[in-house]
Amino acid sequence: MTGVVLVTGGGGVGKTTIAAAVGVAAAEAGHETLVLTVDPARRLATALGLEQLGNHPEPNPKLKGLSAAMLDSAASWDAIAYRHAPADIAERLVTNPLFDAVATRFPSGQSYAAAEEMTVHIESGKWDVIVVDTPPASGGIEFFASPTRMRELVGGRLLRWLTGAGLPGRRGLFNLAGRPALRLADTLLGGPLLEQVAEFLFDLRTTYDGISAKSVDIEQHLRAASTVVVTTADPGPLREALRFHEVGIKPALVVFNRALPSEWLAHEEPLVDGRAAAALNENLARWALEVRRQEDSRADFSGRVATPVAAVPWLADAPVDLEGLRAILAGSPELSLDRLGI
Amino acid sequence: MSGKGGVGKSAVTAALGIVAARRGLSVLTISMTEDLGLGAHLGVDRLGYSPQEIRPGIHGMTIDRSYALDEYIRLQLHAPRIAPLGPVARGLNALADTVPGIRDIITIGKALFEAGRDRWDLVIADAPPLGQVTSYLRAPETIASLVPVGRVRDQALRYQAQLADPGFSGLALVTTAEELPVVETLEAFDGIAEAVTISAVITNRLLSPLGVSEATVLAQPAGAHRDAGLLHRGLRRGQRRWNGQLPDGPQLPYLFGVHTPGEVAVRIADQLGEAL
Repeated sequence: MTGVVLVTGGGGVGKTTIAAAVGVAAAEAGHETLVLTVDPARRLATALGLEQLGNHPEPNPKLKGLSAAMLDSAASWDAIAYRHAPADIAERLVTNPLFDAVATRFPSGQSYAAAEEMTVHIESGKWDVIVVDTPPASGGIEFFASPTRMRELVGGRLLRWLTGAGLPGRRGLFNLAGRPALRLADTLLGGPLLEQVAEFLFDLRTTYDGISAKSVDIEQHLRAASTVVVTTADPGPLREALRFHEVGIKPALVVFNRALPSEWLAHEEPLVDGRAAAALNENLARWALEVRRQEDSRADFSGRVATPVAAVPWLADAPVDLEGLRAILAGSPELSLDRLGI
Repeated sequence: MSGKGGVGKSAVTAALGIVAARRGLSVLTISMTEDLGLGAHLGVDRLGYSPQEIRPGIHGMTIDRSYALDEYIRLQLHAPRIAPLGPVARGLNALADTVPGIRDIITIGKALFEAGRDRWDLVIADAPPLGQVTSYLRAPETIASLVPVGRVRDQALRYQAQLADPGFSGLALVTTAEELPVVETLEAFDGIAEAVTISAVITNRLLSPLGVSEATVLAQPAGAHRDAGLLHRGLRRGQRRWNGQLPDGPQLPYLFGVHTPGEVAVRIADQLGEAL
């Protein structure tokens, strides 16, 4: 049984780093661990052992039991087509200009591709623990909704609208004269595009059985996983973190990243020694204002939801090696493997 | 206005609106995502779907993607605002979910329509974050290449020209002086340059010098003063390194202990007013 940890949250909160740190801790606890990441900073990728960024798990040369792979959605979409459609249709799909456009632009597409890629790794049975750094669209919520959205896309509702109730053959798909509701679409977008869309959806429909079965598996894996929502004390990321709760996702833990020590608030004897002392007193007073702000937002957050929270200290330098990643869990007792069910 | 998530894009967008209004311009600020950050920074709970004055000289609105499509369909059908749209709208919504760029181009079109009105001296749009904004601003181009004929194609070509005209529109990027935001900001220059002119890079949350050397900080007794000094110096060292890679542009300071979004925007506006 593979334990899955989904690390999610708004942009710029450091979730890739938190995901990497959880992965390092799991590997050091003796679990065969895979970290799936989306877009790591170059130095973080190096720390994870991802010298070349690819879809295939690379074992970390410096830490036994840790592997990492990228979630490359363009490559994953091709894989989805070949996995679920007959070979000749898959070929036609991946060369269709709409396929490329849908693969990169369909809002749930990248998330779904990543979720299916994750599922392949879960079902391979090779890993004790998989840590997923979720794609950033809509603060990661898209990732959870993507199986449903994808089923709708390939389910043929639009195709039926374009072609009428019965599904005709691929050629001569729809007859505009018989479908007055299509006249507006035709004025706006033109008949040739609508035909192209209908042909595309007709081909895409061959993936329906595969994708509807797979997307149900994915939903089960997502429900069984431990979700960690990463945020900072800033209003934007906090709003994203609350949204997870509003849509019914129950995180195991909310991580407040870039936390400052509450001791900075306590009244300390000011330094009295010379010119530097004045500057350092003033500096501490400024940062204490930030500590106060952070504590207020954390208290406000905990007043709204009952999810346990963990504070991860603000580091002047982002971790660039295993040592730095190790220090993150070491410095945050509430962020423990136990809490994440590992 | 765009920038990597978490850099304070909406706050700077609101602040720019405040600066322009202080100088007597008639300003419209538009939130082009469902995110309500912009409204909060301008001191309102929510922005409406049409321009409303939210403080003296500043109007605000949001362009909701599904609402904008329905509105567009109504315009095309000459249907009144309250009538239910029925299967035609449902079908077109599904179509818009499948053919990439349709929704984008309708939201962009709405913003460009406002930008063309004499009523506004300046229209500021809080666009999707970097990473999404490239494909977003290229939507007219995508549509023009996918759609061989039809009314949408003609509109797409017009929008493409308006976005590419530096006399009409420009893209301002907000960033912080950290690795990923800077790297993504620089990448945007390659990805977007033909679609729109990047008119400014604004660096947010810069720390000022501590004024005490590393050695002096380290010589202090262990405790909060020393730790806070080391954090400040360490963060600033990283900022200097990454800020050095960016083109020149307005520099905004880190705001300590500012609680409400509205207060953040006004404080940034004070600084931005001096920088511009």
